[in-house]
Amino acid sequence: MSEMVGKLFGWVNRRLPIANTFERHLSKHPVPSKVNFWYLFGALASVVLIIQIVSGIWLIMPYSNTEEEAFSSIEYIMRDVDYGWVIRYMHTTGASMFFAVVYLHMFRGLLYGSYQKPKELVWIFGCAIYLAMMAEGFLGYVLPYGQMSYWGAQVIISLFGAIPYIGESLELWVRGDYYISGITVSRFFALHVVALPLVLIALVFLHLVALHEVGAGNPEGVDIEEYLDDDGVPLDSVPFFPYKVLNALVGIGVFMTVFAIIMFFFPEGGGYFIEMANFEEANPLVTPEHIAPVWYYSPYYAMLRAVPDKLGGLIVMGSAVAILFVVPWLDRSKVASIRYKGIYSKVALAFFGISFLTLGYLGTVGVTEVRKTMSVICTAIYFAFFLLMPFYTKYEKTKEVPKRL
Amino acid sequence: MSVKNNFKIGLSIRNLIIFATLFLCINNISAAEGGSCKDYGECDEFKYSLNDMASLQRGASTFLNYCYGCHSLQYSRWGRVATDLQIPEELFFENLVFDKSIKPGDLMTGSMSKEKSAQWFGVAPPDLTLVSRVRGDDWIYSYLRAYYEDSSKQYGVNNLVYPGTAMPNVLLALQGNQKLVCKDIPIIANNGGEKRDELGNTITKEKCGYLKVEEGSGKLTKDEFDELIYDLTNFLVYVGEPAKATRERIGWYVIFYFLIFTALSALLYREYHKDYH
Repeated sequence: MSEMVGKLFGWVNRRLPIANTFERHLSKHPVPSKVNFWYLFGALASVVLIIQIVSGIWLIMPYSNTEEEAFSSIEYIMRDVDYGWVIRYMHTTGASMFFAVVYLHMFRGLLYGSYQKPKELVWIFGCAIYLAMMAEGFLGYVLPYGQMSYWGAQVIISLFGAIPYIGESLELWVRGDYYISGITVSRFFALHVVALPLVLIALVFLHLVALHEVGAGNPEGVDIEEYLDDDGVPLDSVPFFPYKVLNALVGIGVFMTVFAIIMFFFPEGGGYFIEMANFEEANPLVTPEHIAPVWYYSPYYAMLRAVPDKLGGLIVMGSAVAILFVVPWLDRSKVASIRYKGIYSKVALAFFGISFLTLGYLGTVGVTEVRKTMSVICTAIYFAFFLLMPFYTKYEKTKEVPKRL
Repeated sequence: MSVKNNFKIGLSIRNLIIFATLFLCINNISAAEGGSCKDYGECDEFKYSLNDMASLQRGASTFLNYCYGCHSLQYSRWGRVATDLQIPEELFFENLVFDKSIKPGDLMTGSMSKEKSAQWFGVAPPDLTLVSRVRGDDWIYSYLRAYYEDSSKQYGVNNLVYPGTAMPNVLLALQGNQKLVCKDIPIIANNGGEKRDELGNTITKEKCGYLKVEEGSGKLTKDEFDELIYDLTNFLVYVGEPAKATRERIGWYVIFYFLIFTALSALLYREYHKDYH
């Protein structure tokens, strides 16, 4: 029996590089021997991606993408489909948790310089994933066709209208109708369940291939490729399996516990994960008192509102995401990790973190004079962090990086 | 090594201070907003008890007798309510379902046409299946107890939580006639105590906007009425998400499972970690 399996495996392997790929990218793939919890969020993001895909497939089955039935089909899932509520909450909680781990993953990148040469492409693919996720999340939020779905989409789609010359036609083209309707819902559905997931999976694949080509980083910013053993394996590395897998498994355990606590006890996340107004069916005649995006877009929404001009706001918001792509060329530091960077970098990163969180808060609440001023200040800090990076990273005093981990 | 450790601890304390300051700032900004129950101020807190079947059954009975005439529960099914609330189907259909052609699998689509009710009330009474999720249970619990006599309004009543509400006070006969009254309340001095005059008497000032039921005008006492509204709100919380009680029950098992999972993988990780440290 085992001989036959061996033969079959040999036959396949001769024609498909299974063993080789498995060894190279999983079992023997060398990873730095010393990393901290910040290095778990990439693995967690892939776990959430799988959760989203699987729960998404099951949600498609009972969901109806028509104007008349979209909202009631969600309630049908919540009530009449066996354990439909589990699947739905898994998907809504997953959306928020996806962004949570990706934000932490990105912050890790800034913290330890995970974008520096030769990891530029890893970072760029990552930024593209983030962009695709933002589109995916927005499209998905429209599908339940509640009040916030409708009015959120109204705000976002109208942004296209701010683009000079082609704006209005573009808006109409995106919407597919003169106002948001069943046509918009069904095209968003197609994009949400087919087009963007394909893009996301392709980008994640590229992100990982590029990462495995250049090797994972570590919090010290040490290049482990410098010291190799006789087989050419870095001395400061351990094989991915079982060491990294077990490490990730502990992280996944903690993460899933948090996930379960939210999903089973706070699925609405206090109105931040599922907004209360979205339990009311979309009504084009009644504008909600207060239109706010879900928490993961709120920093950009605060930036949008900080600028009085719609087109200006759109440009600021777009630039805020676009500037992430060029970070590898903004950082002129000799060292990668914040541990060995100078005081300017530390202060800059702290200010950046605080301003981003503050913007996140400001994006969820109504506008007052004080809040508007704060939004402007925080937006300025956000951009200053990136635009001044070539200077403060170049002219600060850095500490010497050790040779080994 | 210890120096490095100290540095790390110092860093985390500094982070903590930064976060605390930030949190305080944010709290100060958000404190500017008014109460969520409009003229009522802060809503009264409501704690649901979805395992209290008696309360849910009383709530369902109140809803079907007093509310269902105008308000539908269009996403909910009759049979499901009977099953979840542990009411034998026969009893349920005999006593709480007034249209005998209704089957257990039917949706609770209401008994009044939307066009007619819109004519009668100005707006069609909204479907209430998800009201507890749109407004929140605190809001409903406060709203239903905040009606007061106001002769300037069409139905002679107004509401502190929802000023200008289109709904008449359907439960007036039970609650009695509630009015807005003024009260003498003690003035609080700067030191936090009550302000007193030279003879030691408390100094008061008149403040208005308090709700008070005319004694003996309703069938129920204040406590009984509050309990009725409690049960009704509890039922609306149930109807807003029928799986809620199940969800919170299963949740504990799932969390327990993942805790065991985490503990075991941590032990295994520690064992393998010895290989390279």
